[in-house]
Amino acid sequence: MTSPSPHSEKSVLLSVRDLSKSFGGVKAVTGVSFDVREGELLGIIGPNGSGKTTLVNLITGFITPDSGEVVYRGRNITGLMPYRIARLGIARTFQMVRPFTALAAFKNLIVPLFSPRVKSLSGGRYGDRDAVAKDLLEEVGFERESSVTYKPAGSLPHGYLKRLELAKCLALRADLIILDELFSGLSIAELASIVPVIEKLVVEGKTVIMIEHRLRELFRIANRVVVLNFGTVIAEGIPSEVMQKDEVKQAYLGSED
Amino acid sequence: MLEVTLIYGFINSVILALIALGFSLTFSISGVSNFAYGALFILAGYMVWIFVNLLSIPFAVAAILSVLLTALLGAGLYRFVLLRLRGLVISEVIATFGVGLAILEFFRYLGWTGFEYTLPVFTDGSVMIGNTYIDHQRLWIVGAGTSLAVGLYLFTHYTKVGLAFRGIAQDERTALTLGVNTDRIAGISVAFGAGLAATAAILILPRGTIAVNEGYDVLVNALAVCIIGGLGSTAGVVAASFMLGYAQMFTDSYLGPHWKMIVPLIAILLILAVRPSGLFGKQKELEERI
Repeated sequence: MTSPSPHSEKSVLLSVRDLSKSFGGVKAVTGVSFDVREGELLGIIGPNGSGKTTLVNLITGFITPDSGEVVYRGRNITGLMPYRIARLGIARTFQMVRPFTALAAFKNLIVPLFSPRVKSLSGGRYGDRDAVAKDLLEEVGFERESSVTYKPAGSLPHGYLKRLELAKCLALRADLIILDELFSGLSIAELASIVPVIEKLVVEGKTVIMIEHRLRELFRIANRVVVLNFGTVIAEGIPSEVMQKDEVKQAYLGSED
Repeated sequence: MLEVTLIYGFINSVILALIALGFSLTFSISGVSNFAYGALFILAGYMVWIFVNLLSIPFAVAAILSVLLTALLGAGLYRFVLLRLRGLVISEVIATFGVGLAILEFFRYLGWTGFEYTLPVFTDGSVMIGNTYIDHQRLWIVGAGTSLAVGLYLFTHYTKVGLAFRGIAQDERTALTLGVNTDRIAGISVAFGAGLAATAAILILPRGTIAVNEGYDVLVNALAVCIIGGLGSTAGVVAASFMLGYAQMFTDSYLGPHWKMIVPLIAILLILAVRPSGLFGKQKELEERI
């Protein structure tokens, strides 16, 4: 499959092949295939209930597919435990934020900073984890030495919790970061500060998949989008072209049949 | 009489805390309620007894060996029984209680009761505080119990590994996405709790004989302390131990020893009626309960 993306010459990092999953009689995802190339920002969009979050859960090992496979760096990772997939360098955020509520914001990053992945990548030398954690929080937009850094994560405002989710992916030193509706519930101002963080990640060579409902903001930064509807891929391509397709318009605006 | 009650109340409280710490630790890290806890306590006692009396191993070595073996057994309990049941709380309770029953009733079947089944005290002798005699073993209990409680609190609140454990306890799914093998951590938590049960046994059992029934009492007391204090809270364990410890000792002194047994049960009923999450437990948000 050729794509007009400027990144098309790069190698494929993640390949989803003919993935299907039903819950009882409901087909959540049916025969979904797409590739993610190294260093690209891929958006996955679609109406509510189109299977986006199920797809994320299938890729990250929280759900085992009925058929099909997920290949990461040429290795079949279908059915691996979530922690194994994380250790390979695939990080994700949750649509509903899931911080370690009783720990201070920066202490939330202690867990990923202790992971075997970070240990092996840093050759066993990571210096002071607290300092690294605070640096990471600053990177995602926590003001340096602000009191929020030290507050229990359970008491943080929504905008900070979303950034904390992103910081956890950074702490894990993931190569592929899957953001499940990171933008939801953020104000315009908060968006304006978090979008550059994501752009910077891509510039630094990370690969990002964004599940998003806020299309305007997504289209500004995405190289390519995949459109899901009723668990199948109905369109794929660069943002401006994809939205012109009839199937997509129909999926979003609703059909009369 | 008041002085004796106050001093022995204090010792009784530390004993309760010592008994409950392991149960609470396991639960706070992995959410597993280990109902084989009392059985592991007694098993550790018999293990030391076997090592010392049948294998002629020095007491200190036997003690360390039994703590390690009991911890290993806890890890095995997780690996071969609990792993398949994770998340099915009722099944976890039934399975661990069943294992506990099997262990305790096995020793009852062997008929290992009587005065020869005792563990040696650490040091012999006693001291006077005011007009009250206290034997050395009770001082050991107070010293070890306090340092264990303080040590555990410091570990889970101030060391990075301890904080990581607490983090994992708060959201296993998030921990999984961050590369944590939560099954392994849960296995470690059960092993840790079992090791603490063995430690408590080695400290506490020398006060009397090793009795199968005490295994059940240990479980009831650990449960009472954890329910009153709020499951999984070290501070709650300490506070609840002192409330229950003194309540038991005052009942013993002023109402009669036979009333002592019902104190933890009444306390459980009271706390469940008034504040089901315990003193230090988090009251669940309404939306989570429905």
